[in-house]
Amino acid sequence: MEELALTYSQAKQELEEIVSAIESGQLDVDALTEKVKRASELIAFCKEKLTKTDTELQKILDKID
Amino acid sequence: MSEISFSLSELNLQVRDAIRDHLPDTYWVRAETSDVRRNQNGHCYFEFIEKDAKNQHIVARARATIWSNTYSILAAYFETETGQPFVSGLSVLARVQVEFHELYGYSLSVVDIDPSFTIGELARNRQLILKQLEEEGVLTLNKELTLPALTNRIAVISSPTAAGYEDFCDQLTNNAYGFAFYTKLFPAIMQGERSEASVISALEKIYEYKENFDAVAIIRGGGSSSDLSCFDSYLLATNCAQFPLPILSGIGHERDVTVVDAVSHTRAKTPTAVAEFLISRASETLVELMNLQQRLVDKSEQIMQTAQNRLDEISRRMIHSSNLFVHSELSAVQQLSVILKHQTGRLLQAEKHFVSEKSQYIRMVSPENVLKRGYTLTLKNGKIIKSAKEVSQTDVIETIFADGRVQSTIKRLPSK
Repeated sequence: MEELALTYSQAKQELEEIVSAIESGQLDVDALTEKVKRASELIAFCKEKLTKTDTELQKILDKID
Repeated sequence: MSEISFSLSELNLQVRDAIRDHLPDTYWVRAETSDVRRNQNGHCYFEFIEKDAKNQHIVARARATIWSNTYSILAAYFETETGQPFVSGLSVLARVQVEFHELYGYSLSVVDIDPSFTIGELARNRQLILKQLEEEGVLTLNKELTLPALTNRIAVISSPTAAGYEDFCDQLTNNAYGFAFYTKLFPAIMQGERSEASVISALEKIYEYKENFDAVAIIRGGGSSSDLSCFDSYLLATNCAQFPLPILSGIGHERDVTVVDAVSHTRAKTPTAVAEFLISRASETLVELMNLQQRLVDKSEQIMQTAQNRLDEISRRMIHSSNLFVHSELSAVQQLSVILKHQTGRLLQAEKHFVSEKSQYIRMVSPENVLKRGYTLTLKNGKIIKSAKEVSQTDVIETIFADGRVQSTIKRLPSK
């Protein structure tokens, strides 16, 4: 998956907005498809942030002296 | 001049006796402990001091001793009751025997300590600090911070060798859900006089790198209870309260809520409990995410289903209306064909009738029928003649009857 330049909070907020937009029932099927695609990316991103250890990040922290 | 004089020892013995005579009992004394130490025999030596409430200047001082057999009982009892070992800087209420030794001078020998006084004093001290923080408007600042939705980059303030620190890291690393956590140790001295400055300097270090962290965990080895006074310090508390990252305290103290506990964003009893808190937050975060995903899936499916239903409906209506159309066209055609058949029949009938009428008429007027009715045709030289003037005397004419022909000769013509 491509790396999204987002923080978890930003991703989650965007996800919440998409879900709200979908739940408002204002979207047509074409728009829905787009939104669901984006939402899936965001969910995958968030899950990865939660569970996949980022060795780069730990390295940065280890370097703090 | 021949007044009586004493040797120093004689005088000191007099003082000792005077004290013994005048202060024969044991007495409860309120004071602060200072310079507490034990020698290898287990005796505890320290000083009682009293400070001026306003300027904190020492206004009284007395050496004090707790003999080892008394100490072993009192210290354990004191620590059990107060959750606090018998150390310097404590306000205590102690029952003392006033002693004067000719060589060592004035001292107080402790025979009992009332831990509830110390508990009260500790609590009062905490209350005073909390009140001060509140007046300064900083008491709840750290609590007002929001823990990020994903809190997994943790700056840890701990003694590097503490068992509690290892437990904390193990717990996070081996969490059952496989959540990712990142810890960075900022080592500090967690007990004794130097701990206040040490923890504050660790906080300052973290502050420099605050963008790299979601929260700070201040943890201290669980189990062994030891000097907590640094966590009741105003200076450390005000630093924690105003720290820009949420502080999670787990300083391993079951009973007391220290001032640092009180101002920190979240208080847990032990380092392990802090780790559990972080793990349970991560699982809440995951649950939230799953809920969002579920809502997304449910709603999308519903929308797709509605769209599908609409399509089906349109297609049903289309089939239905085309059927209707075809049917009505078909029946129109059938009707036309019935009409056509009917009309054609009528037309044919009429024609037939006309034809038969005409043929009958034609039969009626045909020469044969005319002849049958008694008319005759008259021919002269094979040609039909229609006037008497066409014949002369002696002409031979032929008369055609219906049933045959005769020839006649004109004999006479009517006179003119």
